Amino acid sequence: MKKLLSAPALFAAAGVLLVVGVVLAFWYSPIDASSMGFSQKILYYHAPIAAAGLVAYGVAFVAAILYLRSQDMKWDRLGYVSVRIGLLFSILVMATGMIWGKAAWGVWWAWEPRLTTFLLACFLYAAYWVLRSVVDEEQRRATYAAVFAIIAFIDVPITFFATRLLPEGLHPVVIGPGGGGMEGSMAVSFGICMLGMLMLMAALIRRDLAIEDLKDRVTDLKTSLGG
Amino acid sequence: MSGWAQFKAILRKDLIRELRTRDMLVSMILFVLLAMIIFHYAFTVKEGADLTYFTGGMLWVTFIFAMLLGLNRSFAQEKDEHCLDGLLLCPVDRVTIFFAKTAGNLVFLLIIQAVAVPVFALFFIQRGFLGDLLPFLAVLLLADLGICSLGTLLATISMNTRSRDLLLPILFLPLIVPLLIAATGATTLVFAEGVGFGSVGARLLFLLGFDAVFLVAAWGTYDFAIGE
Repeated sequence: MKKLLSAPALFAAAGVLLVVGVVLAFWYSPIDASSMGFSQKILYYHAPIAAAGLVAYGVAFVAAILYLRSQDMKWDRLGYVSVRIGLLFSILVMATGMIWGKAAWGVWWAWEPRLTTFLLACFLYAAYWVLRSVVDEEQRRATYAAVFAIIAFIDVPITFFATRLLPEGLHPVVIGPGGGGMEGSMAVSFGICMLGMLMLMAALIRRDLAIEDLKDRVTDLKTSLGG
Repeated sequence: MSGWAQFKAILRKDLIRELRTRDMLVSMILFVLLAMIIFHYAFTVKEGADLTYFTGGMLWVTFIFAMLLGLNRSFAQEKDEHCLDGLLLCPVDRVTIFFAKTAGNLVFLLIIQAVAVPVFALFFIQRGFLGDLLPFLAVLLLADLGICSLGTLLATISMNTRSRDLLLPILFLPLIVPLLIAATGATTLVFAEGVGFGSVGARLLFLLGFDAVFLVAAWGTYDFAIGE
Protein backbone atom coordinates (compact mmCIF):
# COMPACT_ATOMS: atom_id res chain seq x y z
CA MET A 1 0.00 0.00 0.00
CA LYS A 2 2.77 2.38 0.95
CA LYS A 3 4.51 1.66 -2.31
CA LEU A 4 1.34 2.37 -4.27
CA LEU A 5 1.17 5.81 -2.70
CA SER A 6 4.84 6.65 -3.24
CA ALA A 7 5.67 9.67 -5.38
CA PRO A 8 6.82 7.74 -8.50
CA ALA A 9 3.71 5.53 -8.47
CA LEU A 10 1.48 8.57 -8.09
CA PHE A 11 3.31 10.40 -10.87
CA ALA A 12 2.88 7.42 -13.19
CA ALA A 13 -0.83 7.04 -12.41
CA ALA A 14 -1.40 10.77 -12.80
CA GLY A 15 0.45 10.80 -16.13
CA VAL A 16 -1.63 7.94 -17.50
CA LEU A 17 -4.92 9.44 -16.30
CA LEU A 18 -4.15 12.90 -17.63
CA VAL A 19 -3.15 11.60 -21.05
CA VAL A 20 -6.18 9.29 -21.26
CA GLY A 21 -8.40 12.12 -20.05
CA VAL A 22 -7.21 14.57 -22.66
CA VAL A 23 -7.44 11.99 -25.44
CA LEU A 24 -11.03 11.21 -24.41
CA ALA A 25 -11.81 14.90 -24.11
CA PHE A 26 -10.80 15.54 -27.70
CA TRP A 27 -11.91 12.34 -29.48
CA TYR A 28 -14.72 10.93 -27.37
CA SER A 29 -16.53 13.86 -25.73
CA PRO A 30 -18.63 15.94 -28.13
CA ILE A 31 -17.94 19.56 -29.00
CA ASP A 32 -19.80 21.78 -26.53
CA ALA A 33 -23.21 22.77 -27.88
CA SER A 34 -23.11 26.24 -26.33
CA SER A 35 -21.53 29.30 -27.90
CA MET A 36 -18.14 28.25 -26.53
CA GLY A 37 -17.79 25.35 -28.91
CA PHE A 38 -14.31 23.92 -29.26
CA SER A 39 -12.67 26.27 -26.76
CA GLN A 40 -14.65 24.52 -24.02
CA LYS A 41 -12.12 21.64 -24.26
CA ILE A 42 -9.77 23.54 -21.97
CA LEU A 43 -12.29 22.97 -19.18
CA TYR A 44 -11.03 19.39 -18.87
CA TYR A 45 -7.76 20.71 -17.50
CA HIS A 46 -8.71 24.16 -16.23
CA ALA A 47 -11.30 23.07 -13.66
CA PRO A 48 -9.28 20.09 -12.31
CA ILE A 49 -6.25 22.35 -11.87
CA ALA A 50 -8.43 24.77 -9.90
CA ALA A 51 -9.80 21.95 -7.75
CA ALA A 52 -6.31 20.54 -7.11
CA GLY A 53 -5.07 24.00 -6.12
CA LEU A 54 -7.89 24.44 -3.62
CA VAL A 55 -7.31 20.95 -2.20
CA ALA A 56 -3.62 21.77 -1.74
CA TYR A 57 -4.58 24.92 0.20
CA GLY A 58 -6.98 22.80 2.21
CA VAL A 59 -4.14 20.42 3.08
CA ALA A 60 -2.08 23.41 4.20
CA PHE A 61 -5.00 24.59 6.37
CA VAL A 62 -5.37 21.21 8.09
CA ALA A 63 -1.60 20.93 8.50
CA ALA A 64 -1.56 24.39 10.10
CA ILE A 65 -4.17 23.39 12.67
CA LEU A 66 -2.32 20.16 13.41
CA TYR A 67 0.92 22.08 13.80
CA LEU A 68 -0.57 24.56 16.27
CA ARG A 69 -1.98 21.67 18.30
CA SER A 70 1.12 19.47 18.32
CA GLN A 71 4.05 21.85 17.59
CA ASP A 72 5.41 19.00 15.49
CA MET A 73 7.62 20.33 12.69
CA LYS A 74 6.47 17.68 10.24
CA TRP A 75 3.12 19.46 9.95
CA ASP A 76 4.86 22.74 9.30
CA ARG A 77 6.75 21.13 6.48
CA LEU A 78 3.59 19.64 5.01
CA GLY A 79 1.89 23.04 5.16
CA TYR A 80 4.82 24.79 3.55
CA VAL A 81 5.06 22.26 0.73
CA SER A 82 1.29 22.27 0.12
CA VAL A 83 1.20 26.04 -0.17
CA ARG A 84 4.01 25.90 -2.70
CA ILE A 85 2.11 23.38 -4.83
CA GLY A 86 -1.17 25.24 -4.35
CA LEU A 87 0.47 28.43 -5.56
CA LEU A 88 1.80 26.65 -8.63
CA PHE A 89 -1.67 25.34 -9.47
CA SER A 90 -3.25 28.76 -8.87
CA ILE A 91 -0.92 30.35 -11.38
CA LEU A 92 -1.81 27.62 -13.86
CA VAL A 93 -5.52 28.23 -13.20
CA MET A 94 -5.09 31.84 -14.15
CA ALA A 95 -3.01 30.99 -17.21
CA THR A 96 -5.55 28.47 -18.53
CA GLY A 97 -8.39 30.77 -17.49
CA MET A 98 -6.91 33.64 -19.46
CA ILE A 99 -6.45 31.47 -22.54
CA TRP A 100 -10.05 30.33 -22.27
CA GLY A 101 -11.22 33.87 -21.63
CA LYS A 102 -9.50 35.09 -24.78
CA ALA A 103 -11.13 32.33 -26.83
CA ALA A 104 -14.61 32.52 -25.30
CA TRP A 105 -15.10 36.17 -24.37
CA GLY A 106 -12.45 37.81 -26.55
CA VAL A 107 -10.51 39.35 -23.65
CA TRP A 108 -7.43 38.12 -21.82
CA TRP A 109 -8.67 39.26 -18.47
CA ALA A 110 -12.16 39.70 -17.07
CA TRP A 111 -12.94 40.63 -13.47
CA GLU A 112 -14.93 37.49 -13.06
CA PRO A 113 -15.55 36.07 -9.53
CA ARG A 114 -13.61 32.83 -9.82
CA LEU A 115 -10.66 34.26 -11.72
CA THR A 116 -10.46 37.15 -9.28
CA THR A 117 -10.62 34.79 -6.32
CA PHE A 118 -7.66 32.82 -7.66
CA LEU A 119 -5.75 36.02 -8.32
CA LEU A 120 -6.25 37.06 -4.71
CA ALA A 121 -5.38 33.56 -3.51
CA CYS A 122 -2.07 33.94 -5.37
CA PHE A 123 -1.39 37.17 -3.51
CA LEU A 124 -2.42 35.65 -0.20
CA TYR A 125 -0.15 32.67 -0.51
CA ALA A 126 2.67 34.76 -1.96
CA ALA A 127 2.35 36.79 1.25
CA TYR A 128 2.64 33.51 3.18
CA TRP A 129 5.88 32.99 1.33
CA VAL A 130 7.19 36.44 2.21
CA LEU A 131 6.17 35.95 5.84
CA ARG A 132 8.18 32.74 6.07
CA SER A 133 11.24 34.39 4.61
CA VAL A 134 11.40 37.20 7.17
CA VAL A 135 11.27 35.12 10.36
CA ASP A 136 14.57 33.52 11.29
CA GLU A 137 13.68 31.42 14.28
CA GLU A 138 12.32 28.06 13.14
CA GLN A 139 9.59 27.57 15.76
CA ARG A 140 8.31 31.09 15.42
CA ARG A 141 8.30 30.92 11.64
CA ALA A 142 6.24 27.75 11.75
CA THR A 143 3.75 29.27 14.18
CA TYR A 144 3.24 32.50 12.23
CA ALA A 145 2.98 30.62 8.98
CA ALA A 146 0.35 28.34 10.49
CA VAL A 147 -1.73 31.25 11.82
CA PHE A 148 -1.57 32.96 8.45
CA ALA A 149 -2.38 29.76 6.53
CA ILE A 150 -5.53 29.33 8.64
CA ILE A 151 -6.69 32.91 8.09
CA ALA A 152 -5.83 32.83 4.39
CA PHE A 153 -7.81 29.65 3.79
CA ILE A 154 -10.84 31.13 5.55
CA ASP A 155 -10.49 34.22 3.39
CA VAL A 156 -10.60 32.41 0.03
CA PRO A 157 -14.31 31.43 0.04
CA ILE A 158 -15.19 34.81 1.59
CA THR A 159 -13.42 36.53 -1.30
CA PHE A 160 -15.35 34.43 -3.77
CA PHE A 161 -18.58 35.33 -2.05
CA ALA A 162 -17.66 39.03 -2.00
CA THR A 163 -16.87 39.14 -5.70
CA ARG A 164 -20.37 37.83 -6.32
CA LEU A 165 -21.85 40.86 -4.59
CA LEU A 166 -21.08 42.64 -7.83
CA PRO A 167 -23.41 42.34 -10.82
CA GLU A 168 -23.60 39.04 -12.68
CA GLY A 169 -20.34 37.51 -13.91
CA LEU A 170 -19.40 35.93 -17.22
CA HIS A 171 -18.27 32.59 -15.89
CA PRO A 172 -20.17 29.58 -17.15
CA VAL A 173 -21.74 27.70 -14.25
CA VAL A 174 -21.25 24.13 -15.39
CA ILE A 175 -22.10 22.17 -12.29
CA GLY A 176 -24.39 23.32 -9.52
CA PRO A 177 -27.67 25.19 -9.26
CA GLY A 178 -28.62 26.69 -12.59
CA GLY A 179 -25.71 24.97 -14.27
CA GLY A 180 -25.97 23.41 -17.68
CA GLY A 181 -24.77 20.07 -16.38
CA MET A 182 -22.60 17.73 -18.40
CA GLU A 183 -23.37 15.07 -20.86
CA GLY A 184 -22.36 11.56 -19.86
CA SER A 185 -19.40 11.31 -22.22
CA MET A 186 -18.15 14.70 -21.11
CA ALA A 187 -18.45 13.75 -17.46
CA VAL A 188 -16.31 10.63 -18.01
CA SER A 189 -13.42 12.56 -19.53
CA PHE A 190 -13.79 15.27 -16.93
CA GLY A 191 -13.77 12.79 -14.05
CA ILE A 192 -10.63 11.11 -15.35
CA CYS A 193 -8.84 14.44 -15.73
CA MET A 194 -9.95 15.48 -12.26
CA LEU A 195 -8.63 12.28 -10.68
CA GLY A 196 -5.38 12.58 -12.62
CA MET A 197 -4.85 16.18 -11.57
CA LEU A 198 -5.50 15.40 -7.90
CA MET A 199 -2.99 12.55 -8.10
CA LEU A 200 -0.47 14.83 -9.73
CA MET A 201 -0.91 17.28 -6.86
CA ALA A 202 -0.46 14.51 -4.27
CA ALA A 203 2.63 13.27 -6.11
CA LEU A 204 4.16 16.74 -6.19
CA ILE A 205 3.52 17.22 -2.48
CA ARG A 206 5.09 13.84 -1.67
CA ARG A 207 8.09 14.55 -3.80
CA ASP A 208 8.60 17.99 -2.25
CA LEU A 209 8.32 16.49 1.23
CA ALA A 210 11.05 14.03 0.32
CA ILE A 211 13.21 16.89 -0.95
CA GLU A 212 12.71 18.80 2.29
CA ASP A 213 13.70 15.69 4.25
CA LEU A 214 16.87 15.38 2.20
CA LYS A 215 17.65 19.05 2.79
CA ASP A 216 17.35 18.50 6.53
CA ARG A 217 19.62 15.50 6.38
CA VAL A 218 22.22 17.44 4.44
CA THR A 219 22.10 20.21 7.03
CA ASP A 220 22.44 17.66 9.84
CA LEU A 221 25.40 16.03 8.13
CA LYS A 222 27.03 19.38 7.58
CA THR A 223 26.69 20.27 11.26
CA SER A 224 27.98 16.89 12.37
CA LEU A 225 31.02 17.42 10.15
CA GLY A 226 31.55 20.75 11.86
CA GLY A 227 30.66 22.82 8.78
CA MET B 1 -8.39 41.46 38.07
CA SER B 2 -11.27 40.26 36.02
CA GLY B 3 -10.99 40.01 32.24
CA TRP B 4 -13.17 43.07 31.82
CA ALA B 5 -11.04 45.15 34.19
CA GLN B 6 -7.89 44.05 32.36
CA PHE B 7 -9.46 44.95 29.04
CA LYS B 8 -10.31 48.41 30.33
CA ALA B 9 -6.86 48.91 31.81
CA ILE B 10 -5.03 48.07 28.57
CA LEU B 11 -7.42 50.16 26.48
CA ARG B 12 -7.02 53.07 28.87
CA LYS B 13 -3.26 52.82 28.72
CA ASP B 14 -3.29 52.93 24.90
CA LEU B 15 -5.66 55.87 24.77
CA ILE B 16 -3.77 57.89 27.37
CA ARG B 17 -0.47 57.26 25.67
CA GLU B 18 -1.82 58.42 22.34
CA LEU B 19 -3.63 61.44 23.73
CA ARG B 20 -0.45 62.59 25.46
CA THR B 21 1.77 62.46 22.39
CA ARG B 22 -0.90 62.67 19.65
CA ASP B 23 1.75 61.90 17.02
CA MET B 24 -0.15 58.97 15.54
CA LEU B 25 -3.53 60.67 15.33
CA VAL B 26 -2.21 63.91 13.91
CA SER B 27 -0.27 62.20 11.14
CA MET B 28 -3.18 59.91 10.30
CA ILE B 29 -5.62 62.83 10.00
CA LEU B 30 -3.20 64.83 7.88
CA PHE B 31 -2.65 61.80 5.67
CA VAL B 32 -6.38 61.31 5.14
CA LEU B 33 -6.95 64.95 4.24
CA LEU B 34 -4.00 65.01 1.85
CA ALA B 35 -5.23 61.84 0.17
CA MET B 36 -8.53 63.58 -0.60
CA ILE B 37 -6.77 66.40 -2.40
CA ILE B 38 -4.77 63.91 -4.43
CA PHE B 39 -7.92 61.93 -5.25
CA HIS B 40 -9.67 65.07 -6.40
CA TYR B 41 -6.99 65.80 -8.97
CA ALA B 42 -6.53 62.15 -9.90
CA PHE B 43 -10.20 61.55 -10.71
CA THR B 44 -11.40 64.90 -12.04
CA VAL B 45 -11.26 64.00 -15.70
CA LYS B 46 -12.90 67.24 -16.80
CA GLU B 47 -13.92 70.53 -15.25
CA GLY B 48 -16.72 70.13 -12.73
CA ALA B 49 -16.86 66.32 -12.97
CA ASP B 50 -19.12 64.69 -10.40
CA LEU B 51 -17.05 62.36 -8.24
CA THR B 52 -19.97 61.01 -6.23
CA TYR B 53 -19.61 57.57 -7.77
CA PHE B 54 -16.02 57.37 -6.56
CA THR B 55 -16.94 58.13 -2.96
CA GLY B 56 -16.90 54.55 -1.67
CA GLY B 57 -13.56 53.75 -3.22
CA MET B 58 -11.90 56.96 -2.16
CA LEU B 59 -13.09 56.76 1.44
CA TRP B 60 -12.12 53.17 2.08
CA VAL B 61 -8.79 53.25 0.30
CA THR B 62 -7.88 56.24 2.44
CA PHE B 63 -9.03 54.64 5.68
CA ILE B 64 -7.25 51.37 4.95
CA PHE B 65 -3.95 53.11 4.26
CA ALA B 66 -4.35 55.41 7.24
CA MET B 67 -4.99 52.36 9.40
CA LEU B 68 -1.86 50.67 8.09
CA LEU B 69 0.13 53.71 9.21
CA GLY B 70 -1.52 53.64 12.61
CA LEU B 71 -1.15 49.91 13.18
CA ASN B 72 2.54 49.98 12.41
CA ARG B 73 3.01 52.92 14.71
CA SER B 74 1.09 51.51 17.63
CA PHE B 75 2.96 48.22 17.65
CA ALA B 76 6.36 49.72 16.90
CA GLN B 77 6.07 51.77 20.08
CA GLU B 78 5.06 48.76 22.13
CA LYS B 79 7.96 46.79 20.79
CA ASP B 80 10.66 49.46 20.99
CA GLU B 81 9.83 50.47 24.54
CA HIS B 82 9.46 46.81 25.57
CA CYS B 83 5.89 47.56 26.71
CA LEU B 84 4.69 44.35 25.18
CA ASP B 85 7.17 42.25 27.13
CA GLY B 86 5.84 43.81 30.30
CA LEU B 87 2.30 43.20 29.22
CA LEU B 88 3.05 39.56 28.45
CA LEU B 89 4.61 39.10 31.88
CA CYS B 90 1.37 40.18 33.54
CA PRO B 91 -1.14 37.45 34.30
CA VAL B 92 -3.39 38.62 31.46
CA ASP B 93 -5.19 36.39 29.04
CA ARG B 94 -3.70 36.89 25.57
CA VAL B 95 -7.16 37.17 24.08
CA THR B 96 -7.89 40.08 26.42
CA ILE B 97 -4.84 41.84 25.00
CA PHE B 98 -6.20 41.24 21.51
CA PHE B 99 -9.63 42.65 22.26
CA ALA B 100 -8.19 45.66 24.08
CA LYS B 101 -5.77 46.42 21.25
CA THR B 102 -8.53 46.02 18.68
CA ALA B 103 -10.78 48.35 20.66
CA GLY B 104 -7.98 50.92 20.92
CA ASN B 105 -7.36 50.86 17.18
CA LEU B 106 -11.10 51.12 16.59
CA VAL B 107 -11.30 54.25 18.72
CA PHE B 108 -8.43 55.85 16.76
CA LEU B 109 -10.01 54.97 13.44
CA LEU B 110 -13.35 56.41 14.57
CA ILE B 111 -11.69 59.65 15.67
CA ILE B 112 -10.08 60.00 12.25
CA GLN B 113 -13.35 59.27 10.52
CA ALA B 114 -15.17 61.82 12.66
CA VAL B 115 -12.87 64.45 11.17
CA ALA B 116 -12.51 63.01 7.68
CA VAL B 117 -16.08 62.11 6.74
CA PRO B 118 -17.56 65.63 7.07
CA VAL B 119 -14.67 67.14 5.13
CA PHE B 120 -15.02 64.42 2.55
CA ALA B 121 -18.75 65.06 2.18
CA LEU B 122 -18.07 68.77 1.76
CA PHE B 123 -15.52 68.10 -0.98
CA PHE B 124 -17.11 65.35 -3.00
CA ILE B 125 -20.80 64.75 -2.41
CA GLN B 126 -22.98 66.99 -4.49
CA ARG B 127 -26.36 65.99 -3.14
CA GLY B 128 -28.04 66.13 0.25
CA PHE B 129 -27.07 63.04 2.17
CA LEU B 130 -28.08 63.68 5.77
CA GLY B 131 -31.05 61.35 5.35
CA ASP B 132 -28.71 58.52 4.34
CA LEU B 133 -26.45 58.89 7.35
CA LEU B 134 -27.83 55.91 9.25
CA PRO B 135 -27.10 53.20 6.66
CA PHE B 136 -23.67 54.76 6.13
CA LEU B 137 -22.91 54.66 9.85
CA ALA B 138 -23.85 50.98 9.93
CA VAL B 139 -21.45 50.25 7.05
CA LEU B 140 -18.78 52.33 8.73
CA LEU B 141 -18.98 50.56 12.09
CA LEU B 142 -19.08 47.05 10.67
CA ALA B 143 -16.22 47.65 8.25
CA ASP B 144 -14.14 49.35 10.95
CA LEU B 145 -14.54 46.39 13.25
CA GLY B 146 -13.30 44.00 10.56
CA ILE B 147 -10.37 46.24 9.63
CA CYS B 148 -9.28 46.65 13.24
CA SER B 149 -9.59 43.03 14.31
CA LEU B 150 -7.76 41.64 11.30
CA GLY B 151 -5.28 44.51 11.38
CA THR B 152 -4.45 43.98 15.04
CA LEU B 153 -3.84 40.27 14.55
CA LEU B 154 -1.60 40.79 11.52
CA ALA B 155 0.28 43.74 13.03
CA THR B 156 1.09 41.54 16.01
CA ILE B 157 2.63 38.99 13.68
CA SER B 158 4.45 41.44 11.42
CA MET B 159 6.07 43.43 14.21
CA ASN B 160 7.86 40.26 15.37
CA THR B 161 9.46 39.68 11.99
CA ARG B 162 12.55 41.11 10.38
CA SER B 163 10.78 43.34 7.86
CA ARG B 164 8.12 44.65 10.27
CA ASP B 165 6.16 47.55 8.75
CA LEU B 166 7.02 46.41 5.24
CA LEU B 167 5.28 43.11 5.79
CA LEU B 168 1.98 44.37 7.19
CA PRO B 169 0.44 45.69 3.94
CA ILE B 170 1.40 42.51 2.09
CA LEU B 171 -0.37 40.37 4.68
CA PHE B 172 -3.24 42.74 5.33
CA LEU B 173 -4.35 43.97 1.91
CA PRO B 174 -5.19 40.66 0.19
CA LEU B 175 -7.13 39.53 3.27
CA ILE B 176 -9.14 42.73 3.52
CA VAL B 177 -10.21 42.85 -0.15
CA PRO B 178 -13.58 41.08 0.42
CA LEU B 179 -14.45 43.58 3.14
CA LEU B 180 -13.44 46.44 0.84
CA ILE B 181 -15.63 45.13 -1.96
CA ALA B 182 -18.67 45.16 0.32
CA ALA B 183 -17.87 48.43 2.09
CA THR B 184 -17.06 50.44 -1.04
CA GLY B 185 -20.12 49.09 -2.84
CA ALA B 186 -22.42 49.94 0.04
CA THR B 187 -20.91 53.39 0.61
CA THR B 188 -21.21 54.32 -3.05
CA LEU B 189 -24.81 53.08 -3.16
CA VAL B 190 -25.69 55.17 -0.13
CA PHE B 191 -23.97 58.37 -1.21
CA ALA B 192 -24.57 58.27 -4.95
CA GLU B 193 -28.04 56.78 -5.11
CA GLY B 194 -29.39 57.50 -1.65
CA VAL B 195 -30.62 53.97 -1.09
CA GLY B 196 -31.74 52.89 2.37
CA PHE B 197 -31.05 49.85 4.49
CA GLY B 198 -32.98 47.57 2.12
CA SER B 199 -30.57 47.93 -0.79
CA VAL B 200 -27.39 47.63 1.25
CA GLY B 201 -28.77 44.84 3.44
CA ALA B 202 -26.87 42.04 1.70
CA ARG B 203 -23.60 43.93 2.01
CA LEU B 204 -24.24 44.75 5.66
CA LEU B 205 -24.90 41.10 6.39
CA PHE B 206 -21.74 40.19 4.56
CA LEU B 207 -19.73 42.67 6.65
CA LEU B 208 -21.29 41.30 9.82
CA GLY B 209 -20.35 37.77 8.78
CA PHE B 210 -16.81 38.87 7.90
CA ASP B 211 -16.37 40.47 11.32
CA ALA B 212 -17.73 37.43 13.13
CA VAL B 213 -15.55 34.96 11.22
CA PHE B 214 -12.33 36.88 11.71
CA LEU B 215 -12.99 37.80 15.32
CA VAL B 216 -13.41 34.09 16.04
CA ALA B 217 -10.34 33.19 13.96
CA ALA B 218 -8.26 35.82 15.73
CA TRP B 219 -9.58 34.73 19.11
CA GLY B 220 -8.46 31.19 18.33
CA THR B 221 -5.01 32.07 16.99
CA TYR B 222 -3.90 35.17 18.92
CA ASP B 223 -2.22 33.09 21.59
CA PHE B 224 0.16 31.83 18.95
CA ALA B 225 0.54 35.13 17.13
CA ILE B 226 1.69 37.10 20.15
CA GLY B 227 4.25 34.47 21.15
CA GLU B 228 5.77 33.59 24.48
